[in-house]
Amino acid sequence: MWRARAEPLSRFEEVDARNLLRDPRDRRLPRVPDPCALVVFGVTGDLARKKLIPAVYDLANRGLLPPGFVLLGFARRDWGDGDFELLARRAAEQHARTEFRADVWQRLADSIRFVPGSFDDDNAFDQLDKTLVDLEESHGIAGNAAFYLSIPPAAFPTVLKQLDRTRMADSAERGGFRRVVVEKPFGHDLESSRELNQLVDSVFTPADVFRIDHYLGKETVQNLLALRFANTLFEPVWNSHYVDSVQITMAEDVGIEGRAGFYDAAGAARDVLQNHLLQLLALTAMEEPVSFDAESLRIEKHKVLKAISLPADLEAATVRGQYAQGWLAGERVRGYLDEEGVPAGSTTETFAAVRLGVETRRWAGVPFYLRTGKRLPRRVTEIAVVFKRAPHLPFAHTDTAELGNNQLVIRVQPDEGITLRFGSKVPGSAMEIRQVSMDFLYGAAFTESSPEAYERLLLDVLLGDKTLFPDHVEVEASWSVIDPLEQFWQGRRPEPYRAGEWGPRAADEMLAREGRTWRRP
Amino acid sequence: MSITLWDTSGTEVLRALATERRAGAMLASGLALTLVVCVHEKDVAAAEQAAMVAAQAHPCRLLVVVRRQLETADRLDAEVQVGGRLGPIEAVVMRMYGRLTLHPESVVLPLLAPDCPVVTWWHGPPPEEVATDPLGVLADRRITDTSLAADPLAALTARAEDYAPGDTDLAWTRTTPWRSLIASAFDALALPVAGARVEAEAGNPSAALLAGWLSARLGVEVERSDSGGPGVTELAVSLQPGPDGGEGQSIRLSRPDGRLATFARTGQPERQLPLPRRSLGDLLAEELQRLDADEVYAESLAQVTGTSGLSERSPRRSLIWRDPAMQAAAAE
Repeated sequence: MWRARAEPLSRFEEVDARNLLRDPRDRRLPRVPDPCALVVFGVTGDLARKKLIPAVYDLANRGLLPPGFVLLGFARRDWGDGDFELLARRAAEQHARTEFRADVWQRLADSIRFVPGSFDDDNAFDQLDKTLVDLEESHGIAGNAAFYLSIPPAAFPTVLKQLDRTRMADSAERGGFRRVVVEKPFGHDLESSRELNQLVDSVFTPADVFRIDHYLGKETVQNLLALRFANTLFEPVWNSHYVDSVQITMAEDVGIEGRAGFYDAAGAARDVLQNHLLQLLALTAMEEPVSFDAESLRIEKHKVLKAISLPADLEAATVRGQYAQGWLAGERVRGYLDEEGVPAGSTTETFAAVRLGVETRRWAGVPFYLRTGKRLPRRVTEIAVVFKRAPHLPFAHTDTAELGNNQLVIRVQPDEGITLRFGSKVPGSAMEIRQVSMDFLYGAAFTESSPEAYERLLLDVLLGDKTLFPDHVEVEASWSVIDPLEQFWQGRRPEPYRAGEWGPRAADEMLAREGRTWRRP
Repeated sequence: MSITLWDTSGTEVLRALATERRAGAMLASGLALTLVVCVHEKDVAAAEQAAMVAAQAHPCRLLVVVRRQLETADRLDAEVQVGGRLGPIEAVVMRMYGRLTLHPESVVLPLLAPDCPVVTWWHGPPPEEVATDPLGVLADRRITDTSLAADPLAALTARAEDYAPGDTDLAWTRTTPWRSLIASAFDALALPVAGARVEAEAGNPSAALLAGWLSARLGVEVERSDSGGPGVTELAVSLQPGPDGGEGQSIRLSRPDGRLATFARTGQPERQLPLPRRSLGDLLAEELQRLDADEVYAESLAQVTGTSGLSERSPRRSLIWRDPAMQAAAAE
């Protein structure tokens, strides 16, 4: 049954047209994945317990999982299905966003399986393969499975080779989808990330590889696209004619939290700058995609990432810092070098700030200041677009002494929302102009019920929607930005800063030299 | 945080709301809509509770209107809440007496949040004709609940006859989980449908709408039968036999206890999944998710009640004035 349509069919609508019960106008019906298994490697780890399992529960609670869904854990524990179920239940009870309901859990618990084994144990992987085949019978998963590698990068090759050996990664042979989900770090430099990408892409097909950058799953980040491309108000000034500079900040108040081994080898630039901050930069700076699908978005983000330029003088336009002991939130905290497991004299940075350029007509000459750090005063992520001052002010100089630049701030977390800062007259008989804020807030209660990033991203993996996942070309383009920085920093000592400060003084000086200041988030 | 005004005027209420907003500054920024709730005194608590849940997903200004008895002196009592007992929303609960009950819009109109969509929700038997209620006329979206009518199926027919784009009914909202499950089962099917069946508590309007939807979408007759409930208890679709002949496949979703559903499909193991009846707040939250007309609802309603041309009607209504006092006089 065909009816006349005003618009051409998009890809999704074509798919839906085969199912008579689906209609693009019927937006109440959520898309629910086909029956499938989610196989989690490293299921006893922090990420699995705090994020993945709770996200699976939340999806089940919201009715977004198919009737035939199986959560399959793989780890080196001498466990049965029941032991894993207990761990999963505790994780869901403690960390799930939605209310814990015993009946929802009971159904999910029936579909929880565990396969014990180490990554180099052929028998364990044969057992895993057999389990998946058995599930086709018992749960009707029809060969559909997504493998989530929640494991250290060093273990990737071993696991991938096992999946290759058992042909578990072969969608065609298994008669369903076979997808793989990898977490950052995607390598530690351009070369290693290429190797990793090649390995993953050779075992799975490139279309079946999902790289998670959980920032892209956040509502506010997706809202950035709505803000820019659904409105007429902002896009006309979103360029070098009006924008003075862009500041992107991701601050954490925590230290390295017992991850010394990983962190000391990586540092702030590899851990955060390479992925989260450059993705935020790409979304802020990119041109309008021709449509809101994975391919079009990837093309635009990739263009921006390729257009990023490093400052000529790396000494003056980059700052690395390392936190020393200090006071944070009323408590004394130790310095990075005193953290457990950090080698004496480590030169790893826990703070990085850098000025980048985007060499396009739209952004020529506009500096993008990126900074990230640990043990900063509070946990906050935001994108601040700072506008130029009015070219002429018809007021006495003293009237506008307190007027700053107009700013549009996208608060990614916490207090998700948007702030617009502009000048306004102070009430009174004199003309006095001062900065004021106009706030759009999603609201305290709203934040609670907006889905967690992992929830959204897991669902997208099972649905096969890659819109919110960075592609390997983006990952490689990002490393091309970071590699020269890392080379320059090699062998240099980071500047110390007191825990609880907004980074080393050098970071303030870096902006002061260019006549700017960091926004205090 | 809260001001209670006895025997007051609309202007006083407006002033109190402005004062409270200023005091609660940050709480209420980013309003998405105004929700007007028409409710009987005995259901005020339930409606407030539901609106609170819905407001967590959709920041709104909540205006609860309780129309008390007509035969008494005109009077308005109001309670203004910003970030108080109703959570982080701004709310005004109003009780109207006397002839004021016939002119509630005189108090409500100035209280609507500027330029935001207005949603009116009747938590109680739906009005026979929405145009006779000034609070329905001023709304962009109107939510009724035929399941609360004395005769829900007759109410459904009345809704179809009175329908204007922007109307929906919570009986329709209740079908979403069922529709969602059956639609995803159809994602993996290629064979044409032979027939369908919906089984529910007698007189259940959701079952009727579900049948209307299936029939409108699949182009087959949908059989309806009664069970002990609660609510909808079973939905089954049978498919035509494949080219190789033999028995046609079938899909069956049954939920005898209102909580746990069994999903069965020919040739596959039975699976169980939770399909609980949802709370009023959850239903309302889903309903506020969209502020445009729900054409799929209109088609399903038209199909099951045998009406037509629902979506072509004007979304605007003009008030039909009915004065109960004059009607009573005329009747004598």
